[in-house]
Amino acid sequence: MVRLITHNLLACHAKGCTSNNFPLQLKDVQIALREADFNPDFVRGFMPKIEWNALVNAARQLGDSSLPAEQPEMIDDDLLKALHHVLLEIHIEEGQMTCPNCNHVYPISNGIPNMLLAEHEIA
Amino acid sequence: MPSDYLVRFAQVHDEFRIPELLSVSELFKFKIGLPPKIDTSRALMILSLDSEEHALILARRCILIKSVCELYASGTTYEEIHEQVRRNHDKWSRYIPDTSFKFSVTGYANAIPQDRQLDVINSFRWMDLRGKIDMKNPEVTFVCHEEYLYIEGDRVRSLHDGNFIAVHFGRLVLDGSARPLIRTFSVKTREYYGNTSMDAEISLLMANQALAAPGRLIYDPFVGTGSMAYTCAHFGSLFIGSDIDGRQMRGKDSSPGIIRSANQYGVTSRILDLLTMDVTQHPWRVGGLFDAIVTDPPYGIRAGAKRLGRKKTRETVTERVQTFIATRESDQPYVPPTKPYELSELVSDLVLFSRAMLKPQGRLIFFLPTVTEEYEEVDIDTMLCDGMEVIANSLQDFGNWGRRLITIKKCTDESYPPPMLRRTSEVEIHDGDGEDTGAHIPAHKDFRVKYFQGFKKSVP
Repeated sequence: MVRLITHNLLACHAKGCTSNNFPLQLKDVQIALREADFNPDFVRGFMPKIEWNALVNAARQLGDSSLPAEQPEMIDDDLLKALHHVLLEIHIEEGQMTCPNCNHVYPISNGIPNMLLAEHEIA
Repeated sequence: MPSDYLVRFAQVHDEFRIPELLSVSELFKFKIGLPPKIDTSRALMILSLDSEEHALILARRCILIKSVCELYASGTTYEEIHEQVRRNHDKWSRYIPDTSFKFSVTGYANAIPQDRQLDVINSFRWMDLRGKIDMKNPEVTFVCHEEYLYIEGDRVRSLHDGNFIAVHFGRLVLDGSARPLIRTFSVKTREYYGNTSMDAEISLLMANQALAAPGRLIYDPFVGTGSMAYTCAHFGSLFIGSDIDGRQMRGKDSSPGIIRSANQYGVTSRILDLLTMDVTQHPWRVGGLFDAIVTDPPYGIRAGAKRLGRKKTRETVTERVQTFIATRESDQPYVPPTKPYELSELVSDLVLFSRAMLKPQGRLIFFLPTVTEEYEEVDIDTMLCDGMEVIANSLQDFGNWGRRLITIKKCTDESYPPPMLRRTSEVEIHDGDGEDTGAHIPAHKDFRVKYFQGFKKSVP
């Protein structure tokens, strides 16, 4: 778990960390690929929520270059399938996500990220 | 043309029946005609539906439905029944020439003796059905259902045989096929569960309130051991869970407990992600993500609600941090401190959070514990905010307390930024003698304190 869809939705939320706090940088990651049911309506419906650059970069870092660097205007079946694979079938099992701004490290273990903040980081 | 259908409900959770019917009809986009007067003490209800397909959907999806029949007649005497069945000849005449059939004579709150069952069946001889009788696999089942007032004591009841308050006659459309899911999802046979796991029937009802279906994304911010994850995913939804306490989701093994149970139910690919996080200090970058938020917030009886932070102490925070930094072993994972989270505050925060995180028309479904004697309708209003409306409120009664399954709909297209639920004042558990600000104080405030005092009236 920590699929790229989730990674694309998480920003650092430490106290005072409001800019340059997304995307969290992946480090020392172990990934697993697992099939998921393809639902084109879900993928299409989710596209407006996606930060395209962050998704493409994360996917490329993990060895998947099926997505074009620029978000295409035309949404065809091939694009939806590629998006489906990137969003839902690549799992980060172990590793770290680091905030590019404040360097807070969010560790991932057994597929579960720890997004808790330390005492001095909460408002 | 709409026809009448007789729905027989299980004799439990009576306040949940109508919300479930309406949710399933909303999900599958059809209309239900409800009876003008609804008596929840009766387990039978006559609905008006536009097509038999809708009756089948209800019987396949509603957890509380035991069976659905196409209604031919309904009255208080058998004379009325025969007369109406005769009048509705065109509804069943196609079964006359060559359809195998059986009759089933049943009673609610009364077991009908076999010889009288036979009498009833024989009284319909005039229908002149020519197909063969097949008790095992009939092509059509005619149902005659007598309804009695519930009376304590078997012996008294048997004297009342024949003294029914109503009788209904029709054709069985389908026995409820969702009800057996209660067994499938039984906590007893679940791979991983905890002392706060929600029972299977309620978890299924919550999934129906959430309109769980393929392509929909559902979130539980207090996921615990994941009871609702399995039922929502079973109906095809994608599911995200989070909890401030990662141990609840993981259990003892290296493979997370929720994933082990999800494997058992064959829904692992739909558990999108599990995260350790505090809903009051959450990392969601944007709102408007979820079709439903389904949750059973901890209300302090078996598990207390916590949020990040520290209870008020004399030591200042900086001193604490310095001590912590000085004494922490470098290889130990950091465990941040948590503080109690008062129920009424948690609930209004949850509504605010959901308004931001739900899509328009999205639903928030959660349990609210209430003290039976003190509960008032306005208690619910204290937690609402603009754009959030209560569409269902069903009580599960435990005597002097109960819990209400509240369904709130986001009735606005406006988007709200994800809120950070920060309080300027420290929150402490106190014993109910809060300062009088003139605002309505809901009865679920300080529920934990009231529970452990046995719901005694406080002495002034």
